[in-house]
Amino acid sequence: MKKIVKFLAIAYAVIMLAGCNGQKLFIYNWTYYIPDEVLKGFEKEYNCKIVYDMFTSNEEMFTKLKAGATGYDLTFPSGDYVSIMIKEGMLQRIDMTKIPNFQYVEKSVLEKIKFDRDQEYSVPFMMAGSGVAINTDVVKDYKKDMSVFSNPAYSGRMTLLDDMREVFGYALKALGYSVNSVDAKQLEEAKDLIMEWKKNILKFDAESFGKGFAAGEFVAVQGYAENVFLELDEAGRNRTVFFIPESGGPMYMDCMVLLNGAKNVELAYQFMNYIHRPDVYAKICDFLMLPSINIEARNYTKVKTNYTIEDLKNSELKENIGDALELYNKFWQDIRIGN
Amino acid sequence: MKKNYGQIYTLPLTLWLTVFFTIPILIIVAISFFKKGLYGGVEFKLSLDAYKALFNPLFLKTLTSTLFISVITTIFIIIFAIPSAYYIARSKKKDFWIFLIIIPFWTNFLIRIYAWIAILGNNGLVNNILIKLGVIENYVQFLYNQWSVITVLTYVSLPFAILPLYSTIEKFDFSLLEAARDLGASKAQSIYKVLLPNIKSGITTAILFTFIPTFGNYAVPQIIGGKDSVMVGTIIARELTVMRNWPLASSISVALTIMTTIGVLLFSNFNKSKTEELRELKRGIK
Repeated sequence: MKKIVKFLAIAYAVIMLAGCNGQKLFIYNWTYYIPDEVLKGFEKEYNCKIVYDMFTSNEEMFTKLKAGATGYDLTFPSGDYVSIMIKEGMLQRIDMTKIPNFQYVEKSVLEKIKFDRDQEYSVPFMMAGSGVAINTDVVKDYKKDMSVFSNPAYSGRMTLLDDMREVFGYALKALGYSVNSVDAKQLEEAKDLIMEWKKNILKFDAESFGKGFAAGEFVAVQGYAENVFLELDEAGRNRTVFFIPESGGPMYMDCMVLLNGAKNVELAYQFMNYIHRPDVYAKICDFLMLPSINIEARNYTKVKTNYTIEDLKNSELKENIGDALELYNKFWQDIRIGN
Repeated sequence: MKKNYGQIYTLPLTLWLTVFFTIPILIIVAISFFKKGLYGGVEFKLSLDAYKALFNPLFLKTLTSTLFISVITTIFIIIFAIPSAYYIARSKKKDFWIFLIIIPFWTNFLIRIYAWIAILGNNGLVNNILIKLGVIENYVQFLYNQWSVITVLTYVSLPFAILPLYSTIEKFDFSLLEAARDLGASKAQSIYKVLLPNIKSGITTAILFTFIPTFGNYAVPQIIGGKDSVMVGTIIARELTVMRNWPLASSISVALTIMTTIGVLLFSNFNKSKTEELRELKRGIK
């Protein structure tokens, strides 16, 4: 008992000392989004401590902040949520002169942004999109589009994301419409296409499709490359093809934003600048196996990405669709429950 | 002088329940009567929209299927739990069996659900064994349908039924069973007419402890369910986050709370009157 008390006292002292040394930066970020070595590197270089909290969806992050969670300095919403958070007055204006490394971000990428055209409130972090992973041991003939989901030969062994915007986005794009369409007729058409896919899929899944794919249970999944490849071993990676459908699809731009009420603003700027330092940014891209939007960092990356910025040329960034969300939901409920 | 300390003793509990139970419920009830904000939260205008939305046929359909799943699950649980509890109560190694029942709680709930994927998956344990034994040639799709949801829900709640049943059965006077047999009852009759009526309170507790959490379960249909497995819990979570419709998420929760409360009251009242009848009967005999 005495030993335990002693241990606790020492542990407490260590924690307090570590905490007192320099400032703290409070970050609320996606799970597995920035490798530990980058965070450690920043802590060392700026003699501070990073307190890191994680979320798994924009909605989770937004609902928590909206419901009154405070104390965070930086968070990483996707574009549509950047726009919502601006409208809700949850963000501070960004002073780009404090982020000189921002100059390395590719201009053609920035041109795709509509949610915050001149980066007044957000610093682009990573651009990516969902795609389709195919197990080529089983699926021999496939086109680089969504047609595999209409193929009854693989019925019961495929999954689509349990995410209405993602599924509708691909259906709309396959029909030649925008991923941000709010036209009821176009959505109705998209719904019919999704119903056709639904006949062949096993489930709508945004959580364990990577595990199921790695186990061979699913042979074609719509999902994010990182979720799939993190689960695969060498042999698994060799038999897997990942592509962004040629007609394009929805993609997202996750951004760093400075929250209202942030207490460690200077440190937050230093962090954002650090992230876009080419050698650091390259480490993040290598970790995520995602393409770099930072031109200079491309000279430092070592890992081959699962797709390139070029593959995303037909894709569109998801924008906030406001109350048209209800319309999407109506069709989505028809798909999920209504038959 | 005898002083009544009861209120002082219960003060911590009262405070705890007020702060963490009553106030949150009141907040939920309040939110359900406001107009929804476009981006979550509420506008402070009174509105019944959230309650009107409950009459959406698609929602009612989900409610019925959730009810169906919960009833079937509870029936399975009770069928499995009574013999197990009976066995444990009569066993010499009671502590050991109870220990085994409690062990799963040491593992995280989600990990236990994922474990079922390893057991029932297409490349899982059961399929592999069946294929090795030559019972089947190709894998059977056990997972991702309503029945896999029921299987896992049954597994998740089973201990909550076994424990109260065990504590009731343990108090049961087993010589009554022998007496019944001596007086000419068959084995089955002695169980239905003597054992079951006497452990009714345990059965009631077991049903309540398993039906209510099952009804609101959210993780199991999400992970083990198929393309049509949508339960009420899933809808509440989705309305709160994806749809940013706090009033609707609240009104569904309120409706569920009311329904379960009424259910519990009716159920326990019905049961009480039965047990009282039984007691009077006993007294009469004596």
